[in-house]
Amino acid sequence: MTPLVQVENLEKRFDAVRALHGVSFEVEAGEWIAIMGPSGSGKTTLINILGGLDHPTSGRVVVDGMEIGELSERELTRYRSDKIGFVFQQFHLVPYLTALENVMLAQYFHSITDEKEAAEALRRVGLEDRLEHLPAQLSGGEQQRVAIARALINHPKLILADEPTGNLDEENEATILKLLHELHSAGHTILVVTHSQAIGNLADRRVELEHGRLARITLPVR
Amino acid sequence: MFWRIFRQLLRASRGRLTVALIALSSGSAISSALLNINLDAEQKLRHEFRTLGANVVVAPPSAGSDAALADASIMDRIGIGSPQMIAAAPYLYVAANAGAQPVILAGTWFDQVAKMNSWWKVDGAWVTSRDDSSHCLVGQAAAHQFGLAPGSHIELRAGERKVSLTASGIITAGSDEDTQIFTSLEVAQNLAGLPGRVSLVQLSVSGTPSEIDAFTSRLAGALPGLDVRPVRKLAAAEGSILGRIRGLIFWTITLILILTTLGVLASMAALAMERSRDVGLMKALGGSVQRIMRLFLAEAAALGVLGGTIGFAIGVVLARWIGGRVFGVAISPRLAVFPATIILAVGVALLGALPLRLLGRVRPAEILRGE
Repeated sequence: MTPLVQVENLEKRFDAVRALHGVSFEVEAGEWIAIMGPSGSGKTTLINILGGLDHPTSGRVVVDGMEIGELSERELTRYRSDKIGFVFQQFHLVPYLTALENVMLAQYFHSITDEKEAAEALRRVGLEDRLEHLPAQLSGGEQQRVAIARALINHPKLILADEPTGNLDEENEATILKLLHELHSAGHTILVVTHSQAIGNLADRRVELEHGRLARITLPVR
Repeated sequence: MFWRIFRQLLRASRGRLTVALIALSSGSAISSALLNINLDAEQKLRHEFRTLGANVVVAPPSAGSDAALADASIMDRIGIGSPQMIAAAPYLYVAANAGAQPVILAGTWFDQVAKMNSWWKVDGAWVTSRDDSSHCLVGQAAAHQFGLAPGSHIELRAGERKVSLTASGIITAGSDEDTQIFTSLEVAQNLAGLPGRVSLVQLSVSGTPSEIDAFTSRLAGALPGLDVRPVRKLAAAEGSILGRIRGLIFWTITLILILTTLGVLASMAALAMERSRDVGLMKALGGSVQRIMRLFLAEAAALGVLGGTIGFAIGVVLARWIGGRVFGVAISPRLAVFPATIILAVGVALLGALPLRLLGRVRPAEILRGE
């Protein structure tokens, strides 16, 4: 079976700085991968390229049969709305839209909006009584749950989460991890960037980067 | 969803948008007032010009000699009832003497002279009745020559005939009229022994230069044997003044719109900075540049429509006030100015929203990294 994600000899340069160098790995559909490594190791750069937010300098990145490096800006936009669900460390919700509208925004850019479906997505993350709240009226954990509902609303092939619990307390971290676990159990493919060994141990495999190179791929310690 | 986001965008940025709206409303108000004035000013100014003296003269081919006098019955054929005719004053000029000194006596219709020359400065009072045979108006040079003041009596002679008149007012016209004495037409005709005769007729006719030319041609056809000629110097001066006023209004509006655009640009540039993060996020979520820009352009257009509407309403009030101050009559608002103001305001708003177009270049990865 063809892997959902194929990364071959990936290189990314920012002027003279080489952020990624010779990175290769594959991800099967339904896998939960933890991308780990110290700060500056290229984790976020890797996830941005996989999410179609950045172009690789060289090498191949193929997601669901689409080679990212060959897509035009317009095709990348379509790729992001169709295939990818983002969850960011900073939540990145639109501050003047309600929780419901933030989820519907992703629907709007994908195709057509469905308020009932968006409300149902928020209910699944336990926010049925927060639909009309603005991000500023929600706790960090609640904002991240809105972001997860938004990431899931268009049924993406790949969920990319960049330090999804980095700004949360332990209780909220546990809630978010439980949600990610449920998503994984439901068959979603998840790539999580994390510093946390605990989160890394929840994944199926750990892709570890050092200085922009693939250091090792390990199995979690359970 | 478009309108939902649009509404929230307006609500979220109401501070910056209010500043842009104030700039647009102010610019639109002045533009709308000036457009209203421009449309109404020509008519108002032509009306004003018609108080500055005759612009058409009807005279025998060689006016001045006894043989070249016209019959006063031409007044019936001139078409005094025509809507274009502001005033028509017949004149009979008589060489008379006051004591031993010669003076030109101008017999006319006082009421028409007053309408045609309302700008004359009068010390004393106008003679209001057309047929007043006991009063006269005296030019200020003639009054000085003969030592006359309002209420003074003067005896005028022409050959064996004489008439005694009371000076009602001393007029200052700044031209040949200052050396003349004005009486009723009948007094002049009796003194000269020329009943029913006139030297010329002065007309004040409203309209554009081409309308006046057309009127003149029609009148010449109706009065064979008489010269009917427009006063070219006055028509040219009117045209020149109106052209300058139109130019002044055009350039003022242009300047105001440039300043308004700069005001909107400043607000929108600040707004673009504030929104770069949101746009980066929208692009990350799969929002196309066109779809995101459509939101911002709709916002700018709505701002233009609202600013234009408010500006038009203020402009109407402003035009009425300026009209009252400058012309003494309120300017009537023209409906055609409304769409023109809206189009101008929307154009300025879209031009001022140019900085928002730069948001199309935002790279989501950089924004989300916090760069």
